[in-house]
Amino acid sequence: MKKWLALAAALLISGCSDKSETQAPAETTAATPAATEAPAPATGPQKVVIYNWTEYIPAAVLEQFTKETGIEVEYATYESNEAMYAKIKLMEGKGYDIAVPSTFYVEKMRKEGLIQPIKKDLLANYGNLDANMMNKPYDPNNDFSVPYLWGATSIAINNKDVDASKITKWADLWKPEYAGKLMIMDDVRDNFYVGLRVAGFQNNSTSEDEIKAAYEKLKALWPSIKVINSDSPKTPLIQGNVSIGAIWNGEAYMAQQEMEDLQYIYPEEGAVLWVDSFVIPKGAANVENAHKFIDFMLRAESAKAAIEELGYAAPNTAGIALLDEALRNNKTVFPAAEDIAKGSFHQDLGDTVLVYEKYWELLKAGQ
Amino acid sequence: MAPIFRWGFMGLVLTLIYIPILVLVVNSFNASKYGIKWGGFTFKWYEKFWNNDGLMTAALNSLTVSIVAASVATVIGTLAAVALHRYQFKGKALLSSMVFVSMLTPEIVMAISLLIVFMALGIKLGFISLVIGHITFCLPFVIVAVYSRLKGFDMKMLEAARDLGASESSIFWKIILPLALPAIASGWLLSFTLSLDDVIVSAFVTGPGYEILPLKVYSMVRVGVSPEVNAISTILLVVSLVLVVISQLLLREDK
Repeated sequence: MKKWLALAAALLISGCSDKSETQAPAETTAATPAATEAPAPATGPQKVVIYNWTEYIPAAVLEQFTKETGIEVEYATYESNEAMYAKIKLMEGKGYDIAVPSTFYVEKMRKEGLIQPIKKDLLANYGNLDANMMNKPYDPNNDFSVPYLWGATSIAINNKDVDASKITKWADLWKPEYAGKLMIMDDVRDNFYVGLRVAGFQNNSTSEDEIKAAYEKLKALWPSIKVINSDSPKTPLIQGNVSIGAIWNGEAYMAQQEMEDLQYIYPEEGAVLWVDSFVIPKGAANVENAHKFIDFMLRAESAKAAIEELGYAAPNTAGIALLDEALRNNKTVFPAAEDIAKGSFHQDLGDTVLVYEKYWELLKAGQ
Repeated sequence: MAPIFRWGFMGLVLTLIYIPILVLVVNSFNASKYGIKWGGFTFKWYEKFWNNDGLMTAALNSLTVSIVAASVATVIGTLAAVALHRYQFKGKALLSSMVFVSMLTPEIVMAISLLIVFMALGIKLGFISLVIGHITFCLPFVIVAVYSRLKGFDMKMLEAARDLGASESSIFWKIILPLALPAIASGWLLSFTLSLDDVIVSAFVTGPGYEILPLKVYSMVRVGVSPEVNAISTILLVVSLVLVVISQLLLREDK
């Protein structure tokens, strides 16, 4: 609800600022003197300001970056994509040098001119990136974003309670024997992805009829759901409150360290895939340092450290090669190529999100 | 029969309030990471927290902001409550109803309007903007707490004081302030708590150089909330308890 309010408010304000666009040139000229003064602080300590989830980059990697380059890292955090987007929108892309939006937020920010093109010639380690995770619909050609970590939302089960061979697709969750054992994420798009797929449609549908059909499907599933959790979805599984849950693969990987009976399944209809990418906001003050930082994160060693600490996959071929074999072959973190091919990404659907949101609220209200 | 019900009911309410806190405190000493079973007693999470510079700084920043914001809000709020109570002026009714409106405004609206104001005024986002933001949303709570206490006063006391030749300032210092002290103290504590756990307003009005604890904790969802958070929460709980005990002692001396 809170996330939703933040987004709604930002949309409202962006509506107002569109009207005032005619004033924009005046503002830019006014800003120019400030911009020319900007290099002056360069004599002081160099810095780069990163806007990201808490501890989403290993502390050791950040320290190493500062040690090598002398550039101080200022790390600010947000608690949802919506909040990050709203703040960067309100601040007109100023204040932060790097942000890490998920999948379609890149598209949204690109369309609204909030981020600037990446200068790939400044990124010496660009070649480490895995081509399979590039050129996705949200940023064709990766002109505006560099993928950092990616993952999936899919089905985790407790082997002790549930027969893994009986669950091969999302539709299996509707079976009556799983009533009261299910957990889902508190995320409108993820759940409607499942609803749409099970109802036989594409996941980024903009047709109200299809969304409604997905809603009907989810409504039938609703009585079986015991827990809705996005804060720490692994906990109810580990504690045994639920036997089946739609959770992030990184969470599942961490849970597997605690309980051997946890199995992660990529269903036939495809899992929800997401990518968190580095972007540089339009008004970033330290563009060059931002590129240096992104390049540092593209190093094989940095990617390796991130995968090991966070349990999510970095699309970094050189980094993956450095991992020990058990992790490299872990199908939870690195799904098979055909599972990746079946999955798909959320896209920016503009105002259609309001339709999704309407039916999601109806579901949550139990109607 | 009646006492059994009374104690039973009280017990139930207290259990509901304190069990989760108790679990959290116990888990902060639990060596098992997910707190499902008891993995042995440990100070490991406190140590980790102590060595986690980011979290330490954020916790200290949070305490600083809360103490400053609560104190300033209490001073302004008390004066405002006294003014609303004692004096007649144009727009008084409007002002007091506006205090309530600002209490009912959704936080996100306040957060975004504050950010727009700071941007328009060119105030750099960080400590100053954070404190101003927190004072803004704490203020109405102090005003309401102090105002309702003042309303319960016998106005004749003030008239009597004036009859006996007391100046306005000595009426304030010698009568109003001591009588309103419990409400002022509770206003401060309320503001402190509100400010300490605020996420929404803080997310918008803080800048990159100034991180606070609730934001950092909320933002952990991507990688999972770590048990260090149990340790921080326990420390904050102890700090709040100490503050409550101190305020209680101070108030008792005044009786």
